[in-house]
Parts: sequence; structure tokens; C-alpha cells
Amino acid sequence: MTATAHRGRTAAAALTPPSRWRTLLRSHWAMPVVLAVTLLATYLWIRSRQLDDIERRSLNADALMRMLGEHLRLTALTTVVVVTVAVGTGILLTRPALRWIAPAATALANIGQATPAIGLLVLLSIWLGIGSTTALIGLVAYALLPVLQNTIVGLNQVDRKLVEAGRGIGMSPLAVLTRVELPLALPVILAGIRTALVLAVGVATLATFINAGGLGELIVTGIKLQRAPVLVCGAILTAALALLLDWLGGVIADLFRPRGLG
Amino acid sequence: MSDDVMISLDHVSKRYRGQKVPAVENVSMTIHRGEIVVLVGPSGCGKTTTMKMINRLIEPSSGRITLDGADVTSLNPTELRRRIGYVIQQGGLFPHMSVATNIGMVPRMLGWDRRRIDARVDELLDLVGLEPGQFRNRLPQQLSGGQQQRVGVARALAADPPVMLMDEPFGATDPLTREHLQNEFLRLQEKLQKTIVFVTHDFDEAIKMGSRIAVLGERSRIRQFDTPERLLAAPADETVAQFIGAGASLKQLNLRRVGSIAYDEAHLVTSQESPAAVLRHLDESGDWAVLTVDGERRPLRWVGPRDLRPERDTLDGVGIPAPTVEPRATLRDALDAMLTCGCGAAVVVDDAGRYRGVLGIDRLMRAITEMRETERSRDRGVAEASYYRPPMPRTLAAPAQRGGAR
Ligand SMILES: Nc1ncnc2c1ncn2[C@@H]1O[C@H](COP(=O)(O)OP(=O)(O)OP(=O)(O)O)[C@@H](O)[C@H]1O
Ligand SMILES: [Mg+2]
Repeated sequence: MTATAHRGRTAAAALTPPSRWRTLLRSHWAMPVVLAVTLLATYLWIRSRQLDDIERRSLNADALMRMLGEHLRLTALTTVVVVTVAVGTGILLTRPALRWIAPAATALANIGQATPAIGLLVLLSIWLGIGSTTALIGLVAYALLPVLQNTIVGLNQVDRKLVEAGRGIGMSPLAVLTRVELPLALPVILAGIRTALVLAVGVATLATFINAGGLGELIVTGIKLQRAPVLVCGAILTAALALLLDWLGGVIADLFRPRGLG
Repeated sequence: MSDDVMISLDHVSKRYRGQKVPAVENVSMTIHRGEIVVLVGPSGCGKTTTMKMINRLIEPSSGRITLDGADVTSLNPTELRRRIGYVIQQGGLFPHMSVATNIGMVPRMLGWDRRRIDARVDELLDLVGLEPGQFRNRLPQQLSGGQQQRVGVARALAADPPVMLMDEPFGATDPLTREHLQNEFLRLQEKLQKTIVFVTHDFDEAIKMGSRIAVLGERSRIRQFDTPERLLAAPADETVAQFIGAGASLKQLNLRRVGSIAYDEAHLVTSQESPAAVLRHLDESGDWAVLTVDGERRPLRWVGPRDLRPERDTLDGVGIPAPTVEPRATLRDALDAMLTCGCGAAVVVDDAGRYRGVLGIDRLMRAITEMRETERSRDRGVAEASYYRPPMPRTLAAPAQRGGAR
């Protein structure tokens, strides 16, 4: 990483490597370009076609923005809930007093993920009725595991000696958690969140089955009414969104990687 | 007398969960204010466990530990630990924080303001011999092992705790660095007068560092708890004697300080001196070499007759680098220095690195012979009274008299 590259230079240079942004740019420029080109190509392709009524009903700016908005809202809510619940639970489950429950909790989260997503949503809607709340709960159950697991793994892989050193010099348990454990576990936790984010974008396409909107609507319409442009447009938008968020996750992970490791 | 007690362990035992035999069994000891007590013993004998019970990183299964008169279990563990500096092997520095953040961690927990913390960090870096401007903002991975140890010590000293626990603090460094750190630490201790519990499994280190040494056996059982001198002179039993190893008299090299024996004088010259003049001096005086020094009288090199080229104008860069020792270094350190450079003399320097005198190999040999004779006569059973006590007080207060005649 940059910090190592500057070893031996002045301390200030090591602290705020001037090229951090440039390094970021250099390793992350490709994805936005690819996405922009793909989206542009799709747009031009659709523009060049004669759209019939059905197609026009789906493929107009208003409808697309609405569906994209629903999709993003669902994904964002899912992420917020998942991060809060899973990181919180992960922290609790790595405290000495509760460590013994951790296997049971991961097993439970595993059930959520191992169940086919569509089945999970249908089961939940039978129980809770259809609508966006149900979709949210289903998505959360589905995306919980990677974050929970990575939080637990991330916290457990922090060198025990450092935790003990922190306690030994007189840091409070909370300070040890926030200043030593979490910063050192952050890369692993962020990787989990990134996975969850991508999962959530994909699975949110299924929300349309329980009437919770989203880009899945395009795909379902495309299939049901045999309109290739609608189907393709839905698929590409969903994929682009997933890739974009994954890319964002990568940038954030690089941005917050603790200094002094590796 | 009891005012003098800083730490006491009273019938303390620790049995880890799921273990049949206790790791520490029924240990009692008192540690006085301002002394360095070294716990030394074979690997796995329970030194670390014993030490960690003092700051409650480990809770004893039974027994009582008091710090400054108060039962440690009656204190909040975090508060307790802020009164006890803690240094562990390899520093245990937080890798993602700068040196300054590491050192300033406890003061920050104590709610000091930024300016006070910054000032304290710089003060401590100075104290442990690291230039603040250069090291403050470095990450631990940008430091050498020895520098990390120093930062570890600085961090432990941050809130000026009266007590320090040090678990093999110099364990992971090479012998020369370790010796240097030990000397520096002893110098610090002269100033700071902390109460220190020091864990090591290196008996030579124990002799050098300890005011008193507890030789521990299985389950931390105390085999002998005594001053280094008495430990060497009268091991309590066969096991302790074995642990001390052969040649207790040679071990005393770790005990006697350079400052405790007389120095010789060297002929000092600056690098500007002409080789011809030096040759003349060596011829006339019969000295084996002269010592070049810089403007501050800091020693540079030994220059012997064979190093001299009469056709040259100055002594710049001529000769072999002169090894230096401080008065508080042990005779063992001095011997090591001589062996490393391959010359028969170490230059004694003060804290600022300025010349004070020369310790020659012959003086060292004489000191060794003296010690061996004392030991031999003691082994013959006549020694008790004539047992040689090093003239240097264990507090290391004043660097001792210097004898060499000018
Ligand atoms: N957390 C623990 N759980 C169970 N047993 C332990 C634990 N820590 C140490 N022990 C055991 O207790 C004994 C004493 O360990 P301790 O670490 O105190 O030894 P030590 O004298 O410091 O050894 P070393 O010189 O190798 O550091 C050992 O037999 C060790 O295996
Ligand atoms: Mg140990």
C-alpha cells in the first residue's frame, strides 16, 4: 500500500500520502467507464427501435426513475438495517461473555441465506402479507449472513495481544472496541457489507413478485409479455446498479483501509 | 516498614479453567517502592500469569494482591491499570496508529487536552531517546524492533504510573540492542524511581536489571528471592544453582558496573593531528594506540602504529572505530564491546558520549581473577566474611570514582 511505498520518507509524507487519490483513481477508473459505455449503448439501441405501446409504458423516463428509485430505496434500507443488526450482533457475539453463542447465531443466519430467495419472500408474504415491509424483511434475512459472519471473523482475527495490550494499558472495554478492534476489523467487515450490498441489489429484483416494485418489474414484464427490449433493459439496469455499488464498495474499502497493516 | 511496600502477593494461586494443575500456586511476595523485582524462571513456569494478576488481566483463583495498601479486586480494573504501566514483548503497539497516538492513548482516556498530550508525547520520546520530530508521526511498522520497544516503554510511562509491569520487554531484540536498551532503561529508572516488576527468562538480564530477583520454579513456586549478589554467592538449592549455571563468578560480570573499577587514560588527539607526531608519541610512550576524538571529546577511533601513513596529513578516517560503554554498563557489556571490535579496550563515555577514560582488557582480567579467587576461597568454606561485595551501590546513584592517573 501507499504507506509502505513511502517508508523512509519524512513522517508527514507517510501519514498523508499525496498520491492516495491518484492511487484510487488508477485502480478504480475502469468500471465507471465500462458502465457508462454499456448504458449509453443500451440507450442508443432502444432509441433506434420502434417501441410499441407496451414497451413505451415501461421504457419511459418517469417509469424508469420510479422503478430505479424503489429499487435503490429497498437496497439502501436493507443495507442500513443489515449493517446495524449484523455488525451490532457480531460485536456482541465476539464479547467474551457471549462468544459461546456465536456458532448458533451464524447457523441461524445461514438458514436465511440458504433458503432460495424467492421461496423466502413467498413464505414471508404468506405470513406478513405482501408489500415493501415484507420485501425489506426478506432482503434483510437474506443479506444478513455475510455481514454477520465477516464481522465475527474480522473481530476474531484481531491479534489477541493487541486487545490485551489495550486493556493492559488501561483502555476501557469500549475504547478497546472502537479504537483497536473495529478499525483493525474494518476491511473484513467492509468486504462483508459489499457482498451484502450486491446480494441485496440482485434479490431486490424479486420484490416485484410481492408487489414491492423495483427494477424486477421490467424483467417480469419483459418475460411475461415477451418484450425483449424491456427485459434486456431491466437486466442491464440491475446488473449496472449491482456493479456500480460493488465498485463504490471497493473504493470505500480502499479509502478506509487502516494504515500500518501489511 | 509496611509503608515501603508497594505490591504484595499473599498466598496467590491461579488455576486456568480446564487445567488440572494450577499455573501459579500459593505465591507470596512483597515488592518495595522503587525497586526492580525480576521474576525469572524456565518457560511456562507462570511468570506472565503471576504478573498479569497484579493488573488484573488475569483474576487470581485465590489469595490477595494489594497495590499501595489497597486490595486490587476492590478497584475498578481500568482505573487500576492506569496506575500501572504495562510493557509487553515486541511492544504490542497498535499498528494502525502513529507513535504519538499510541503513546498518547492513556492520557487521552484520562481526558487531558490536546496540547498537554502533545507536550507529554514529545517529552516521553525525548526520554526514551527518540527524536520527536522524526518519530512522532511514524507508524510502528516504520520502526526498528528496538525503537518499537522504546515506544512501548514510553507508552507505559505516559500517565506517569508509580508501578510498571514489564513482560520480557527486551526479549525480541538482538544482543547489542538489548544491552543498549537495558542500559538506557536503568538510566531512566535512576531518574524515575518506579516500582518495577520485570519478567525475563534470561538470567544474565535478571542479574543486570534486578534490585532483587525471584527465581521461580514449577507453578511459580519461589525457589529463592534475593539480591543478585546473594543469589550468586549462595544459591538456595541445587535447582537454583543449576539455573544460575556454571561459573557464578563469571556471571558477576553482569553485576559489576564499568563505573566500579578504575579507568586508564588514553592519549587523545584530534583527527587533524599529523601521523608523524602520533608515531613519535607512540614510540616515546610505548602506548599501543592513541584515541582520536571530535571537538566535543567524543571518541572516534583507535589509531595504532600500523594504521599510520606518514605521507598523509591528517588522521581522518584512520584506525578502527572505538567501542564505547557507559559507566553503568556491566563488565560483561564491556567485554562484549571489546570482543566485537577486536581491540583490547573500551572507551568509557558519559551520557553525552564524551570521553571519561578507558577500560583495558587487563583491568577487566584482573577484576575477573579477583572474583574467581573470592569464589574459590568461598568454596573452600572460608568465604562468608571475605565475600567480595561490589563497591558500587545497587541504586546506581553516582558513577563511581575514577582511578586512572593522568
Ligand atoms: N489462558 C490460559 N489458559 C490455560 N492455560 C494457560 C493460559 N495461559 C497460560 N497457561 C498455562 O499456564 C502456565 C504458565 O504460563 P505463563 O504464560 O504464565 O508462563 P511463563 O512463565 O510466562 O512462560 P514464558 O517464559 O514461556 O512466557 C503454562 O503451563 C501455560 O500453558
Ligand atoms: Mg511469559
